[in-house]
Amino acid sequence: MPDAILEVQEVHTFIGQFHILQGVSVSVPRGGIVVLLGRNGAGKTTTLKTILGLLPPRQGQVIFDGQSVQGRRSFDIAALGIGFVPEHRAIFRSLSVAENLKIAERARGDLDRKADFIFGLFPDLKRLYRLPGNHLSGGQQQMLAVARALVPDNRLLLIDEPSEGLAPIIIEQMMHAIRQLSAESTVLLVEQNFVVASQLAESYVIIEEGRSVQAGLMADLVVDRETIQRYLGAA
Amino acid sequence: METLRRNRTLLITLAILAFLLFTAIQGLSTRDWVITLLRGISVGAITFLVASGLSLIFGLLDVLNLAHGTLFMIGAYVGWTTYLRPDTLVDLLPPVLLLAAGLLLGPFWAALVGRWRTSRTVSRAWPWAALILAVALATLVFAQWPLARWDPAVAAQSPATYSLQLDQAIKAGQARAAPAPAAQGGLLRLAGAFLGSALLALGLAGFSAARYGGAGKVTGAPRRWALGALLLVTGVGIYTGDAALTRFLFGLDTAWLFLIALLVALVTGAALGALMEITLIRPLYTRPIYQLMLTLGLGVSGIELVQAIWGRTEFNMPKPALFQGSGAGCPATSIVDWLANGCSTIDMLGGRIRTYNELFVILIGVIVLVAVSVLLQRSRLGMIIRAGVQDSEMVEALGINVRQVFTLVFALGAALATLGGIIAAPSMGLSPLMGESLLLAALIALAIGGLTSFPGAAAGSLLVGLVQQFIIKYGQIGIRLPFLEQPFKPTPPLVPASTVLLMVIILLVLPQGLFGRKE
Repeated sequence: MPDAILEVQEVHTFIGQFHILQGVSVSVPRGGIVVLLGRNGAGKTTTLKTILGLLPPRQGQVIFDGQSVQGRRSFDIAALGIGFVPEHRAIFRSLSVAENLKIAERARGDLDRKADFIFGLFPDLKRLYRLPGNHLSGGQQQMLAVARALVPDNRLLLIDEPSEGLAPIIIEQMMHAIRQLSAESTVLLVEQNFVVASQLAESYVIIEEGRSVQAGLMADLVVDRETIQRYLGAA
Repeated sequence: METLRRNRTLLITLAILAFLLFTAIQGLSTRDWVITLLRGISVGAITFLVASGLSLIFGLLDVLNLAHGTLFMIGAYVGWTTYLRPDTLVDLLPPVLLLAAGLLLGPFWAALVGRWRTSRTVSRAWPWAALILAVALATLVFAQWPLARWDPAVAAQSPATYSLQLDQAIKAGQARAAPAPAAQGGLLRLAGAFLGSALLALGLAGFSAARYGGAGKVTGAPRRWALGALLLVTGVGIYTGDAALTRFLFGLDTAWLFLIALLVALVTGAALGALMEITLIRPLYTRPIYQLMLTLGLGVSGIELVQAIWGRTEFNMPKPALFQGSGAGCPATSIVDWLANGCSTIDMLGGRIRTYNELFVILIGVIVLVAVSVLLQRSRLGMIIRAGVQDSEMVEALGINVRQVFTLVFALGAALATLGGIIAAPSMGLSPLMGESLLLAALIALAIGGLTSFPGAAAGSLLVGLVQQFIIKYGQIGIRLPFLEQPFKPTPPLVPASTVLLMVIILLVLPQGLFGRKE
């Protein structure tokens, strides 16, 4: 694909001695939302961590915006313009909401510049600005985790399971926010909830036992009952 | 009710303190308990300097640095030497600065080596050659510098003699005669030091290339060159101005010399800490047990090293003149009075208080407590440290160089320990084993405070210091117990035992320690 912001080419990743990814390829076109689908333990989160260099691949390579990131350390890769929203709402609980956002600044004044955009997406955070992170509800923590990735100018956002463990109404809000922020940067999503995934993403990649087995447009997958049944279980 | 719950730990600490104080001062005169209280806080302050560094390092890096007591001791010895024989500092600075300049070349070598393709055998062999050459060169060069030439058996050379002279000179109100600057190596030897460390850096770059593959580009190259050039110029500059600088330092007031000694101890600690983290701790983050054993071994070898350089004898350190006076106007009756006359004691709060041991040490403890708290709570680095304690991988994913922050925190923790050493030296004296008992006290303080909590380290240290000093006091006057005829006098072994007992009691009630967090 000529205008891909991210190309993951046949990566093999180990965690300790376990061969977790055994050939995953993902191509993410600039703009829009791509979702990684697959069962629990298929290697979706590991793929995100491989892209960021948190788990460097032993084979294959990751190309971000035409540039190979091989051999770079994670902080260096992230600084190229990749934001990460990890699963389980991993905000810094001992830091205040304000500090959780400020720590993500890559240049002085990032937060001031983006504050309107962020509080437009998540008005709740403005109200909670001074509270410590551990006083937030699950939904608020997830919003903060997404907001944190928006503080610097990221060209690509890796979002891991944004709807996990949230109430339906909060999921609605989160989906709305992700749709809006995808106008500003490309999103690579991991999502177990197929209803959410199918409504958000334009295209998909299915990962099965550490291999990327199928990719295509979401519109085609939604009508392909057989594939859904085979790789994702009952939808 | 909510505020009560939130401040639970603070209330418990205060309650324990109040209870201990209340029971402790029974049967003591006001004069006695004020002094004992101040001594306890003072010992607590010194314990805190060691414990705070330990807790910062343990919190962020998950490393329990058992070499921390040794760092404390090294701080005392280095500071003491600077204070008594500033000429040693002047003589040693040029080679040390040049050594650092040479080591700075490391990343450039790594980038160069990465581009160089050779056969496997050659790429494994040449770093050894570089390393051996570097060590040989360093041995040859450093054998000529004063620290290695000290013979503790020759009285005239020993800093202990200078210590005595300084002590007597102050008491007699005389200035010291400056000793002639020690003979030292020529420019050729300086060049040897630089070359040796550059070779060492090359060898290390070779090893890491053989193991992990060559590194890419050098980050912050212009800054590195500038810093290296600065070190080179300063080193050669000090070398050429050696005699003048030595004369200037010997002419200085003892208060200024003490301040310089503090700075030298701080910088030594930071440098040792950074070096230790980069070369020894970093490769072992995935193997915590090895790390623990490594720090333990480093601690023991550090003690041996200090004994090899300074000998086994114990030294004392004369206090700066400001804390030493006993002439007219002493003991002082107020702080202003003390500053004017430089008295060793001051009459305050119904007792006679030593200005250094009880006032200055506590002051330094409070300054460090406030400074580090402000650093942690208000600065960006502090924010990164607090976030990293919880999840350092996520901090890295935000684009922050966590490895560099780890090195900084290790350096900071080590610097706090060496600062503690030089602060404690005038009141405790110096011995190669001075760090061990303090490390134990600091570990107990950490356990009481809750391992990774900075306020916990402060509270724990304070409790440990107070309990120690009150037990010592009761060792002198005895405790009247209802079922004993004679007053019970705690023996010296009960002093460390009492702090352990305190820890056991607190951990039984609060398994996480006073400020610890439940996981």
